[in-house]
Amino acid sequence: MTPFVADVLIPVGKIVAVILYPMIMVVVMIWLERRVVALMQGRLGPNRVGFQGVLQPVADAVKLFFKEDIMQRQADAFLFNISPVLVMFSSLLAFCFVPLGEPIRIGTYTLTLWIAESPVGLLIILGLSSISVFGVIFGGWASNSKYPLMGALRSVVQVLSYEIPTGLTVLTVAFVARSMDLVEIVRRQEASGTWYGFLMPVSFIVFWISAVAETNRAPFDLPEAESELVAGYHTEYSGMKFAFFYMAEYAHMVLVSSLVVILFFGGWLPPFPSVKALAFLHAVPGFVWYLVKIMFFLYLYVWIRATLPRYRFDALIRLVWKWLIPLALVNFLVVALVRVLR
Amino acid sequence: MSRIGRFLKSFFLVDMLRGLAVTLRLYFSRKVTVQYPEQVQEPAERFRGIVRLYRDDKGEPLCIACKACQRACGTNCFDIEGKKEEGAKVMRPTKFDWKLDRCTFCGFCVEVCPTNAIRFSREFRLTGTDKDGLLFHLPDMYLAGEDLQSYLCAGCRRPR
Amino acid sequence: MAFKEINLNMGPQHPSTHGVLRLKLAVDNEVVLSVESIIGYLHRGMEKLWENLTYTQVVPLTDRLDYLASLSNNLGYVLAVEKLAGIEVPRRARYIRVVLAELQRLASHLAWLGFQANDIGAMSVLLYGFEARETILDVFEEYCGARLTIHGIRIGGVPHDLDAALAARIRKVLDGIPRRLADIRALLDDNRIWKQRTVGVGRIAADDAIAYGLTGPCLRACGAAWDMRKDVPYSSYDEFDFDVPLGRNGDVYDRYLVRLEEICQSIRIVRQALDGLPEGETSAKVPRVLKVAPAEVFHTIEAPKGILGFYIRSNGTDKPERVKMKSPSFINLQSVEHMCKGNLFSDVVGILGSLDIVLGEIDK
Repeated sequence: MTPFVADVLIPVGKIVAVILYPMIMVVVMIWLERRVVALMQGRLGPNRVGFQGVLQPVADAVKLFFKEDIMQRQADAFLFNISPVLVMFSSLLAFCFVPLGEPIRIGTYTLTLWIAESPVGLLIILGLSSISVFGVIFGGWASNSKYPLMGALRSVVQVLSYEIPTGLTVLTVAFVARSMDLVEIVRRQEASGTWYGFLMPVSFIVFWISAVAETNRAPFDLPEAESELVAGYHTEYSGMKFAFFYMAEYAHMVLVSSLVVILFFGGWLPPFPSVKALAFLHAVPGFVWYLVKIMFFLYLYVWIRATLPRYRFDALIRLVWKWLIPLALVNFLVVALVRVLR
Repeated sequence: MSRIGRFLKSFFLVDMLRGLAVTLRLYFSRKVTVQYPEQVQEPAERFRGIVRLYRDDKGEPLCIACKACQRACGTNCFDIEGKKEEGAKVMRPTKFDWKLDRCTFCGFCVEVCPTNAIRFSREFRLTGTDKDGLLFHLPDMYLAGEDLQSYLCAGCRRPR
Repeated sequence: MAFKEINLNMGPQHPSTHGVLRLKLAVDNEVVLSVESIIGYLHRGMEKLWENLTYTQVVPLTDRLDYLASLSNNLGYVLAVEKLAGIEVPRRARYIRVVLAELQRLASHLAWLGFQANDIGAMSVLLYGFEARETILDVFEEYCGARLTIHGIRIGGVPHDLDAALAARIRKVLDGIPRRLADIRALLDDNRIWKQRTVGVGRIAADDAIAYGLTGPCLRACGAAWDMRKDVPYSSYDEFDFDVPLGRNGDVYDRYLVRLEEICQSIRIVRQALDGLPEGETSAKVPRVLKVAPAEVFHTIEAPKGILGFYIRSNGTDKPERVKMKSPSFINLQSVEHMCKGNLFSDVVGILGSLDIVLGEIDK
């Protein structure tokens, strides 16, 4: 393999793929959400554009990109414009650190299915996903309107509160894997023969609940509660900027699902990696396993949304401070204890 | 139920799981959507669609321009003038203007008509692209089906 | 940072004000300090309009008041005119009216259930409620040809007879509704989020409710038993056996339970009316041009939203001199400030939904 291919073409290809992959997943996710919610409600949902309506989100995005971009006169123009970019950018950037599958060997060259492997990848992803809060609060504040402001305030309180249990549960995983490197965490799960989700179910459940809350999804979708705050922090946005917020939310969901899969469900590993009888499952490429697992969690997002009513603000905060954080702390102590004693 | 049982039920999210089971079951249930342009739900027998005039079996118009419908109408949809031709037995309308945009589909005109000339059709597609299509004159009152649709639609009406 | 009290404008374009209602809220953070409802965005001058129409021509326009229960408006107005003109309605017609009015109550409550759940965020229930309501609207279409603005009652009786085929169809529809309700109840009844959003929210004591003139299911949720069908029976309601469900706490959750139970009771009434449908005429003899000697009358019925009253004064011509309508939604809306004060902003949506207001009826 020539150095040109290895050093220029492949990295550029990877960068393009890392931008395209979340976008494709966003399109799939929007379609999945609309179809699945519709099917659960006895409807059919979008099924006209493309096969079974798969292209409906694309059509919507194209429509949004051609719509007039409205900014009200008293808005803070700089922050107003920068916030959708900030939200989108932080979600996309985090995907650089997400390993999508096992490295592929082509002759002497090893193609890794991630852009960057960092010993603190987990921390970087958590940090980046927290940056999107700035986008939300800037957008809500800069709109100079009351509903977005209230949505932004809710969002900040909610995301900051739910960061704590997220951090505590992620810590347990790092503890057991003795690493904060996402690739390393998957490798450790392969070596230990079990997925951490089965090893530490409490961690997984607390992480999942916090993750749903952090992505502002039902039943924790208070910042954009349609029946209360019209559209929450992006009420004043239209056209392409609105599309950015919208897509960033879904990209964030894909990111969180990826994290859950990597941390608790073995990333690209097939089910029961250590059981000999199921060795034939290794024939399926790791990337496919990874996708299947992600789709399951995305489906779970939609399923929950179709079922549950929305929390009220006080109950939301009560849930995290009185239940999730103590639970996460106890869980952390137990895991630490077991880890030390063994 | 004991307090422990209640706590356990609450702790293991039994209420939410029940809800999730319901939505999952309905996910596989029969869907009620009617794919409109391809499948059309037939309106009921008595459906109050657009009103139109009818002719008898021999093709003679039934309307005798008695203006009963005009008097019964609560929203002044009708503007009717009639004339008795030399040697004819009954009056015939010379002008029969009917305004679709005013009609509330209450059915009073149909109920009072002595000759059963004005009746509800089962035509429910009432959209047009301009206001002219909402004003019906005497010949337009006999239109039905696709002819009526092309009358309502400005693009189709223009060539005539 | 001290967060000053801000004024928040909710509506007239807002997803959950159920039409073009405008609420002026003063909120401190999320706590509601005061609520002022501003109405009139849908005012069409109905009452004045009716003075220029004959008694019969008014009936289709009453459809446009409470458009989710148009047939109940028809019934209220028609009963008032019949009382005024002294028209005796045949028993069969009265029974058919009961069947239709109770089906309308079912449709209205099912639509309410969907809206209320959607306001609180359970969006699937909206579709489940509407799916059940749709089967009832199909019955209306079969009966008189329209689904929403039905105009299904005429002065002196009903326009069409209720034949055996339609009765069988109604029975089939009634069988399907409890199944749908069971799904909805499994989703909501015990759900912790639903309970947390509704139990103890928007409480009003029975005395206050009566002082505010609250009627219908909202009043009965406070424990005050007052149902016009039971207490001042009209249109043969005294011949049916049904219960008036009562709540205890007067909060949003009790209103939800009361309405659910009313759906079951309405199904019972319709079944009884279909079983005991008497033979006879479906309409009394009413002159084509109805002229009423000078008199005045006030008649109230139990509409799905509460007590609906019509005051009519005649002057000897074929047109009423004055019609005044006592609309339940208009009066129920008054208590919204009492219920919302001190609650969170999110609860305003739930409370407003639980009152089951329709702006067509408030603004007239």
